[in-house]
Amino acid sequence: MSASAIIMLIFGVIIYVGGISLCLSIAKKHNKEKQNTCE
Amino acid sequence: MEIREKWDSRTAFIMASVGAAIGLGNVWRFPYVAYDNGGGAFLIPFFIALLTAGIPLMILEFSLGRKYQAGAPTAFAAVKKKTEWVGWLALFAVMMIFLYYPTIMAWCVNYIVHSLTLKWGADPNHFFVNEFLRKSIGPSVLGSIRWPIVIGLGIVWTAIYLILRKGVKVVGKVVKWTVAIPWAILIIMVIRGITLPGAGEGLNFYLKPDFSALLDAKVWLAAYGQVFFTLSLAMGTMIVYSSYLPKKSDVNNNAFIISLANSGTSFFAGFAVFSTLGYLAQTMNVSVPEVTNSGIGLAFITYPTAIRLLPFAGAVFGVLFFIMLLTLGIDSAFSQVEPFVAGFTDKWNLSKKWVLRIVCLGGFIIGLIFTTEGGFHWFDILDHFTCSWGLTIVGLLECIVIGYIYKTDKMRKYVNSISEFRIGKWWDFTIKILTPLILGISLILEIYSMVTDGYGGYPAWATTIGIIVVAILIVMSFVMMKIKARKENK
Repeated sequence: MSASAIIMLIFGVIIYVGGISLCLSIAKKHNKEKQNTCE
Repeated sequence: MEIREKWDSRTAFIMASVGAAIGLGNVWRFPYVAYDNGGGAFLIPFFIALLTAGIPLMILEFSLGRKYQAGAPTAFAAVKKKTEWVGWLALFAVMMIFLYYPTIMAWCVNYIVHSLTLKWGADPNHFFVNEFLRKSIGPSVLGSIRWPIVIGLGIVWTAIYLILRKGVKVVGKVVKWTVAIPWAILIIMVIRGITLPGAGEGLNFYLKPDFSALLDAKVWLAAYGQVFFTLSLAMGTMIVYSSYLPKKSDVNNNAFIISLANSGTSFFAGFAVFSTLGYLAQTMNVSVPEVTNSGIGLAFITYPTAIRLLPFAGAVFGVLFFIMLLTLGIDSAFSQVEPFVAGFTDKWNLSKKWVLRIVCLGGFIIGLIFTTEGGFHWFDILDHFTCSWGLTIVGLLECIVIGYIYKTDKMRKYVNSISEFRIGKWWDFTIKILTPLILGISLILEIYSMVTDGYGGYPAWATTIGIIVVAILIVMSFVMMKIKARKENK
């Protein structure tokens, strides 16, 4: 694989894995806050 | 009056929506579109299109369903009575899709069995076209029914009925499998693919960026088109799925998670496809573009060719590949039936079980047309007009109704009040201007191409029938709007 193809591979991984991880961490944080409020 | 069903958990809703969005196109369309539109550079317009059209439209559909707790027609009627027909049009468009889509699942059922003996032999093209489909010379010759496909179709419709009859709680349980299984198989296919000789060359064709393509308007239109069709938007599915959410459920974050999971799967599927194509090209001593294919050709001709040439366990990978396609498609298939059934039960308070029985039986009987020797042609024609015309019109109308009749700022305030993070005024811009503009341009180009070149080399009378079908769907939508709802309707 060429270097430019590998760069695009890394770009794709960052976008999708990074994006989903960020969204899930927001959901987790929100759940925690909700639980604390209920308690 | 029945109490509206609810998802068991947020995970069930996300998995069901991901299952609805991820379908065959993620495997057989995205990798080819990316390769054909700048390779790795295509990821840039695709991601921008996702942020500026796909996710905003998904937020729109989720907020409609969530706010009005109803399927598409009732939700649009709640926005303004005279826009109810937009919801019906979405349902009739999806009805056309679920009439022919299970036929592909039926092919997969057959190919799982054929994989055991690699029945397609040295010429998968001849086997698929002449022995399996026995494709007729044109749409005017329907020929006889292909019974192996009918059996497959029966199995698929029975599965759809059994999954949907117990309501969304069972759907929530089933999708955990129908989403997890194709993901697991995809991982196996990628590992198998990238360890084959020639895989690197194939992946080079998939990912090597051609940044000059970013200056081509066609590439951007392809990116927006791919985003629009891959997320199962404008079908009423996302509206009805979000209508089963409990009150105060998030919308914005869910839309981002589902869209990213769907697009990430497409990106990942490209590795399985192009690594295998690289191997195939090397084995056949040709260049990768010569073996590159998309759609049905990729799944039923190119991939079986590669499977046969695998150094070992070809049958195992064949079975796995078609199980992957079947499970990818089945949750999309029942997500198409659900909004259609909900549209009727919401408006007229009908028994869901009876509506479902009639829809499944009717779907199977009408679907028999696509199991004939000429069925492939009709499948191709109806697929083109339903997707390229029908869904684009629905998407465009959705933007106009929420953007200019309901007003986006009102919907944005509502959706921000229940979501885990807020969306800004950029969302208003995408719904009012950008998305309708892109969809409008795509529709005009489609119509222009139809008028000048026709479609797929089919005779004018056949494509005219395709256009008439779209026109009938629009008329039917108005008729449904005019029929009064039952008073005890929720």
